[in-house]
Amino acid sequence: MPETLDTLAQSLSDAVVNMDEERTRELAIAVVDLGLNPLAAIERGLVDGMNRAGKLFETEEYFIPELLLCSDAMYAGLEVLRPHLPNASEVKKHKIVIGVVEGDTHDIGKNLVKILLDAAGYEVVDLGRDIEPKRFVETAIREGARVIALSTLMTTTMDAMADVVRLLAEGNLRDRFKVIVGGGPISQAFADRIGADGYAASAPAAVKLVQRLITEPA
Amino acid sequence: MHSRDKMTPLQRLTAYGRGQSIDRLPCVPIVGNTAARLIGAKVSAFRGDGKAIAEAQIAAYERFGYDVIRVFTDLYTQAEAMGAKVHYPENETAYLEAPAIEAIEQIGLLKPADPWKDGNLPQHLDAMKRVVSALGKEVAVTGALTGPFTTASFLIGTETLVRLSLKKPEAVHQLCEVAYQTSLAYAKAILEVGCVPSLTDAMSSSTVISPRQFREFSLPYLKRLVDFIHRNGRAVTLHICGKTHPIWTAMVETGADTLSLDNAASLQDAKRAVGHEVRLMGNVPPSEVMLEGTPASVRHEVRKCVRQAFDNPKGYVVASGCSLPVETPFANIDAMMDAVREIGWPVNPSDLEAA
Repeated sequence: MPETLDTLAQSLSDAVVNMDEERTRELAIAVVDLGLNPLAAIERGLVDGMNRAGKLFETEEYFIPELLLCSDAMYAGLEVLRPHLPNASEVKKHKIVIGVVEGDTHDIGKNLVKILLDAAGYEVVDLGRDIEPKRFVETAIREGARVIALSTLMTTTMDAMADVVRLLAEGNLRDRFKVIVGGGPISQAFADRIGADGYAASAPAAVKLVQRLITEPA
Repeated sequence: MHSRDKMTPLQRLTAYGRGQSIDRLPCVPIVGNTAARLIGAKVSAFRGDGKAIAEAQIAAYERFGYDVIRVFTDLYTQAEAMGAKVHYPENETAYLEAPAIEAIEQIGLLKPADPWKDGNLPQHLDAMKRVVSALGKEVAVTGALTGPFTTASFLIGTETLVRLSLKKPEAVHQLCEVAYQTSLAYAKAILEVGCVPSLTDAMSSSTVISPRQFREFSLPYLKRLVDFIHRNGRAVTLHICGKTHPIWTAMVETGADTLSLDNAASLQDAKRAVGHEVRLMGNVPPSEVMLEGTPASVRHEVRKCVRQAFDNPKGYVVASGCSLPVETPFANIDAMMDAVREIGWPVNPSDLEAA
């Protein structure tokens, strides 16, 4: 049976869900070799697979190890396909600046959110971990981001989240960005108290939150 | 012993275990680094200073009158003694700066720690010895023992470890085994200074790994540690943070006598699932309620927890869901203790419904 875009996209999606990095890479190369549409292969293959993995994570069939290996496969495929995207197909994506706030180095939660935001089609600027408040603000301005996403697992660093919101307000920039917070000790009540725009309890919920905030009128 | 209590914590826990009458339910706000504030010290003063840890823990117990003293500063002490780099901020809980090794080829370089020599373990043992000598006759004193899977995550890095759990399980077992050897040596030393090891295994949470991975990489090593402690005639508490409902049965299979549950778990569900086999402990939210709440909201949460678990067949200890944040207001810790004193014993569930 000749490989069509439909069958390859389905195979790519399956390879991502099955955490098979090698197979994903081979299938992505096949897409390129056959001259098929790389953007469609990304969206209907890699991203579809990562979304399925995210659903399995929500239903507790997949856990963090599985989700990380699925994302390894997705990124391996993206590495092959991205250079073949025609420039015209680059739709303008919303940018999100993400990082773990100063005083904390636990970054698995942040990484999961980044992976799922990537898969959802956002452009994610990942600052990493132990990031001081003003770097979030500076980066968001420079990048023209819509959302600033702050993560922590340590209660001692929660004040640094409030500092980000305060810095934005002091610079009369508060309306330009949506600020979202998450991590073990964080709650909706905390988000409300520091004046953040939203809180999500899990990585998939963070993606839904971003989608809601971005479509909402400013 | 606290002026508002009628029994010492040891008398209370002993009587409770025998099904005899007590003055109130046992209660443990899990005070770790918060204790520094009781002696006007910064958290960083605990580094390498067993005397400071002991003085702070003794002062915290005397102020609040809770039922178990747990000598604990952070989860990294065993990994640090094996070569992991830990960062100590001035007045916050320490965090991992860099794992001990970077690649599986280096696993062979790891050696089990000597608790009397390596890292800050000798100072923690010194702290335990001092607390036992000051208060051992009236209150149970435990020393935190980090689970092998969690220590393994600090030895090679958490993301690396969880990827290996699917790709190279034998490497994960090697790491857990060497971490277990450190845990075992440390458990022996903790018992030698007259303390009881109290197991804590954050990374084994279902928030991180699957129940199947828990059975493969956490359960066997935890069980060996629990067996060892039991052979020494002591009961063991096992604390795992985050989601744990998929592994309650497996946690019971470790042999632990008490499961300490995070507020991400439901005490009521845990009671139904495993309450006939283990005592439960938990789970007033440490951040949302203990740190950010008021004495009134603390009281409300304590009553909610008690309502769910006071009739647990194997018993119930009111506790925070995890170690308290450093800046937890003392008034909220007092409110937690007072709420339990107010409920008293025997617990009358209809009293709990009102207010």
